[in-house]
Amino acid sequence: MFLETVKLALRAISRNLLRSFLTVLGVVIGVAAVIAMVTIGNGTTAQVTADISKLGTNMLFVRPGQFGPRRAATEPKRFTERDVDAIRSQINGLRAVSPVSQSTAVIIYGGQNHSSTVAGVTNDYLIAQNWELASGRSFLASEERGGQTACILGETVRQELFGAARPEGQLIRVGKLSCSVIGVLEKKGQSGMGNDQDDTVLVPLRVYQRRIGGTTDISTIMLSARDGISTAKVQSDVTALLRERRKIGLGREDDFNVNDMTQMAATLTGTTTLLTGLLGAVAAVSLLVGGIGIMNIMLVSVTERTREIGTRLAIGALEGQVLMQFLVEAVTLSIFGGVVGILLGLGLAYTVVSFLGVPFVTSPTIIAVAFFFSAAIGMIFGYFPARRAAQLNPIEALRHE
Amino acid sequence: MTTPPLIEFRKVSKLYGSGEATIRALDRIDLSIRPQEFVAIMGPSGSGKSTAMNIIGCLDVPTDGDYLFQGISTSGFDRTQLTLLRRHMLGFVFQGFNLLPRTSAIENVELPLVYRGIDTKERRSRAADALARVGLAGREHHTAQQLSGGQQQRVAIARAIVTDPAVLLADEPTGNLDTRTSIEIMELITGLNRDRDITVIMVTHENDIAAYARRVLRFVDGRLESDRMNSEVADVS
Repeated sequence: MFLETVKLALRAISRNLLRSFLTVLGVVIGVAAVIAMVTIGNGTTAQVTADISKLGTNMLFVRPGQFGPRRAATEPKRFTERDVDAIRSQINGLRAVSPVSQSTAVIIYGGQNHSSTVAGVTNDYLIAQNWELASGRSFLASEERGGQTACILGETVRQELFGAARPEGQLIRVGKLSCSVIGVLEKKGQSGMGNDQDDTVLVPLRVYQRRIGGTTDISTIMLSARDGISTAKVQSDVTALLRERRKIGLGREDDFNVNDMTQMAATLTGTTTLLTGLLGAVAAVSLLVGGIGIMNIMLVSVTERTREIGTRLAIGALEGQVLMQFLVEAVTLSIFGGVVGILLGLGLAYTVVSFLGVPFVTSPTIIAVAFFFSAAIGMIFGYFPARRAAQLNPIEALRHE
Repeated sequence: MTTPPLIEFRKVSKLYGSGEATIRALDRIDLSIRPQEFVAIMGPSGSGKSTAMNIIGCLDVPTDGDYLFQGISTSGFDRTQLTLLRRHMLGFVFQGFNLLPRTSAIENVELPLVYRGIDTKERRSRAADALARVGLAGREHHTAQQLSGGQQQRVAIARAIVTDPAVLLADEPTGNLDTRTSIEIMELITGLNRDRDITVIMVTHENDIAAYARRVLRFVDGRLESDRMNSEVADVS
């Protein structure tokens, strides 16, 4: 009996294929949106996670202020050289301690100019980031002390300014500062957050502080723990040390944050969650409209087939059997929409994902949820028309033209 | 010595509308039909013949009075009970055939068996038997559109008898057919009544169709004006 009804419903759909498709377009769009969104989101998350594991899970970032939406009313105190020295001497198990200060500046060479990130760093920065030089050398001790102005270019900057020419030994201008190029970094590509990591110029921290930043403040301290040392341990040690140095009393909140890469990733995924929620709301509206579309076409179908319903009732169909027939038809219709939506969503996600260069990660859970959700829509919006069909008076239905 | 009535009306009335506009479609009708009878119901339009047919077919219920089927009162039956009575005891043939569109002949005939929950294999063979009985063997997979009017009505008759009903109810079965085809259909119905002991009740307004019946009920203004055996009405042969 049930199988018969499904077969009947499938036949009704294939008979009016175009009409059926237009009817379920709302469901198709809603489901496709959810599937595409989640699949793309999964891909980006996978990419971020991969980037982080490439960097190594032993990285920690120390920044002033609180990360995330809660911001202090006043600008939190920055770190100083002395904080860096204190971490270096008092925290065990660190491979590299790399203070970083950075801003944006225009880089000029010959007739070319290019706006890029200028970072004041020490050689520890390259160790912490696992970043090799493609050519040239790193800073000499004398350069680190601020004697001569030397700089190391990221691949993007080199490409922009020098093209095919050899950059080593050339003088470039970084903002108002002139410095000679001593090396070029290996290409790293885009980060999981979508920014170009190679669009950067490194100068010694001292030089940066005196000639570009104008203060001895440090905006970020990057730490790299030795292999086998837990980042959680380092995190709590550094927190305790900085609380003491910054004279934060018991019970008061930190005015800085120490995060490892997994926590950074969690924050990043947090923004994706917000976006997902927003698009989810759009999808919900689309599914609602789709449901109403199904209800509408089912009501039309009940009217069109009044005589058929009358015949069925006359020859012994119970109310429940007629109800079931139309309900199954509505559910089959909405599942058809759901399946088309799932395929469309996956196709869309595949296109976008290959364009972004992130992996294609499908989630069986969300596909199952989309499938059952579309079935539920057919059930909910098909019930009213089905009940109307079941409750038709057979005499009037048979007389219907 | 008479057989107990299959169908019995006891002062059955049917009223439509209310107040001033009340229409008395049936006015205290007493009627009884015995098994294996072949009855024609006649009368001008508005006479109440269709209403009577609907009540006999359990598609409608009397406003007043009692309708007994095989001696059992149906007053107080709910929609489900009426449907089950139709499903197990009655077969319907309509003027407009009412076959499901774009559905093959055999699937149309199977339909009442589907609702009875009979499995596919048995359904197929019983439907094929019924189609053979109405002379449509070999046309099982034609759809309604591929069959002539007469053939469509044969499919409808097969659908009505596939469940071996006690009563075949035919509402103007030849109304949409030409004379030659009408004769064929009437001969088929007469044969079913004679050979398979199916009680036939038929609504018609044509005398030559009513002539196939052995008993003719004539309704006028909601009353049973006459109830005669056919030998009294006209000479059939």
